[in-house]
Amino acid sequence: MIHLFLKRLGQAAFVCWSVGTLGFALMRLLPGDMAFRIAAGRYGYDQVNLAAAEAVRAELGLDRPAWRLYLEWLFDLLRLDLGDSLVSGLPVLGEILHLLGHTLLLAGAAMLIAILIAVPVGLFAAFRAEGWFDRAALVASAFLRAQPVFVIGLLLLLIFALELRLFPVAGFDGARYLVLPAIALALSMAAVSNRVVRHSAGAVIASAFFAFARVKGLSFAQAFVRHGLRNGALPVLAFLGIQLAGAIEGIVMIESLFSWPGLGHGLAHAVFNRDVPMIQGAAMTLGLIFVGLNLAVDLACHLVDPRGRSDE
Amino acid sequence: MKPLLRIENLSVYAGDRPLLENLSLSLCRGERLTILGETGAGKSILIQAIMGLLPPSLRASGSIQIDGRDLATLSRRELECLWGRRLAMLPQEPWHALDPLMRAGRQVAEVYACVLRQDAERAAANARRDLAGVGLEQAGDKLPGQLSGGMAQRLAFCAATAGGAQIVLADEPTKGLDADRRDHIAELLRRKGEEGCVLTISHDLEVARRIGGRVLVMRGGRPLEEGPAEQVLNAPTTDYSCRLIQAAPGHWPRIERRADGEPGPAVLEARGLAKRHGGKRLFQGLDLRVGRGEILGLVGDSGCGKSSLGDILLGLLAPDAGQVARAPGIARHRYLKLYQDPPAAFAADIPLGRLFADLLRLHRLDASRLPPLLERLRLHPTLLERPAHEVSGGELQRLAIARALLLEPVFLFADEPVSRLDPITAREVVQLLTSVATEHRCALLLVSHDPELVERVCKRTLRLG
Repeated sequence: MIHLFLKRLGQAAFVCWSVGTLGFALMRLLPGDMAFRIAAGRYGYDQVNLAAAEAVRAELGLDRPAWRLYLEWLFDLLRLDLGDSLVSGLPVLGEILHLLGHTLLLAGAAMLIAILIAVPVGLFAAFRAEGWFDRAALVASAFLRAQPVFVIGLLLLLIFALELRLFPVAGFDGARYLVLPAIALALSMAAVSNRVVRHSAGAVIASAFFAFARVKGLSFAQAFVRHGLRNGALPVLAFLGIQLAGAIEGIVMIESLFSWPGLGHGLAHAVFNRDVPMIQGAAMTLGLIFVGLNLAVDLACHLVDPRGRSDE
Repeated sequence: MKPLLRIENLSVYAGDRPLLENLSLSLCRGERLTILGETGAGKSILIQAIMGLLPPSLRASGSIQIDGRDLATLSRRELECLWGRRLAMLPQEPWHALDPLMRAGRQVAEVYACVLRQDAERAAANARRDLAGVGLEQAGDKLPGQLSGGMAQRLAFCAATAGGAQIVLADEPTKGLDADRRDHIAELLRRKGEEGCVLTISHDLEVARRIGGRVLVMRGGRPLEEGPAEQVLNAPTTDYSCRLIQAAPGHWPRIERRADGEPGPAVLEARGLAKRHGGKRLFQGLDLRVGRGEILGLVGDSGCGKSSLGDILLGLLAPDAGQVARAPGIARHRYLKLYQDPPAAFAADIPLGRLFADLLRLHRLDASRLPPLLERLRLHPTLLERPAHEVSGGELQRLAIARALLLEPVFLFADEPVSRLDPITAREVVQLLTSVATEHRCALLLVSHDPELVERVCKRTLRLG
């Protein structure tokens, strides 16, 4: 158990270092003068001129060698100081904490909806394997999964926001704003996970221990609740850990599409403005969310499966 | 007395091919019947038919009556109501039949709670009593993976019969168990048969002898000979029954145990091996030298570390202490293992032919060597068109042997290779395995729970525990 925590902690440290370093290197490799782009971000493209760019360069010390800037950043990271935003001048940490709340709300709502869709659909398809419902679920899953998540978002926007005017188009000002982005993200996640649930439940129903439970005299429902759920949950949980990477990617796209004031949206803005500390901070936080969720999945597996527990 | 179970002219067909033909039998209270016969003789099909669990691709005719009611007249729901309450089935593979995540005691207690609707406390108490009755009082909090094969089968016995079923069907319940554990299960079945009736399928003659009652010998899906156990086992009237009884390891010819036989150059040398498992010391300071073409037996109780020792010799498992040296210049893939559980050793859903073709291609082997090998192992080439789960356990083990022999091994660790085969096939397979090993100068480490078998074919025997 402690071993698991230490492993995840090591992963978290590695994520911070690698994501930050990658962001640092990539921003320097992009074409164009960095000081000029940052100045443009601050004052707007109409106002910016060479003098403003030089002022920015001098202020941020961008004329110093890259390795010095990198080492400074690394040292600050060790002190948990993510620096100040190049655009707003505010500490990155504060901005990120503000955005993080919105992202977690969106991600949490999306996951909840995804579970509410994927588990019943997957189970029902497994109980009637190869029936019409199973086939329809397969086709729908393939169709949804084949779309990039922003296409699903756009479709929802067109239908429910622009045509039917049921929900607002973008921004955040109350629960109604949450509905469309959360559903778009949830549909994309549920498209694969309902098939994983279906296969996992199907495998359990076909297993020898399920057959034996029936022969012992248990009804189908009793056997499924007592033996199917736990055994079937394990592969689903394992898959969830993998799917989270895709969910993070989806969050960036959906937040940008719906102008949701979260980390993904903040990250996209920071990229356009060459706001390097902000990019590093936002990407790092998304990476840490991924590690944290994986830890949650590990803990869930540990609770469900008594076999690997070290105390036995 | 009215029979509890009565079968009349039961036939089961796969397409036009009969798997079981014109079987009639009846069992009254207190009666026990053991069906003996070769693998693939339709014995397991019989139990599936009685349980109403025949695969949809099979067609059955004739009638099966339980308590005088014809199964064909029952709805699916009524049939399922008989499970656990009137009919109990002992699984062939107890480990697979137990929920890997549920503790032993609860797997029995849930029958009392769900089927007999007892409250949790009473159900748990009844489960504890049942487990104590089969010597498992310490195992209630263990998971199936922590139980030995014999313990798992006793647990399955408790779970299967807790619902109060009077008609117990057991499909090879002692497969892979060593003699003591086998006799224990047979004794449980004999006792159960005194209060209800027991139908056992086995290819172990000793099981039939211990359960007593009547014995039915089957061949090719047809009943051949039926009578009281003692009579059939001691004075069989048909030629096939004679051969079946002669095939028990106790009747095999002894090989000459020559102490002076010169051992070939070593293919494997182990020094000072030690291994612990689950806080128990399996072996310590074990030295072993295996020469080319040597046939070495390994015996011991289940759970004594026979499989662990073999895995350590193959390098599949690390010893706690000591080292294993393999002969230099010999490819790793010529040190091979024959697994105890053949279904676990083949990919389940891929036609066997493709698995063999992949192997031939991977090692650039001559494909023409396969057909004669299959023929020597009494395997029909059409078996290769099927995936592993559509082939019987006995056939699959012979295929596994063919697969290993293709690679011309210098050392073969055979972990209970014939525990799933009927005596005639087992004898043939062991003899083939040992003769091929000798021909190819391949060393063979033969693990068996049956000391008699090892004694008959191995020149040297190692005993663990």
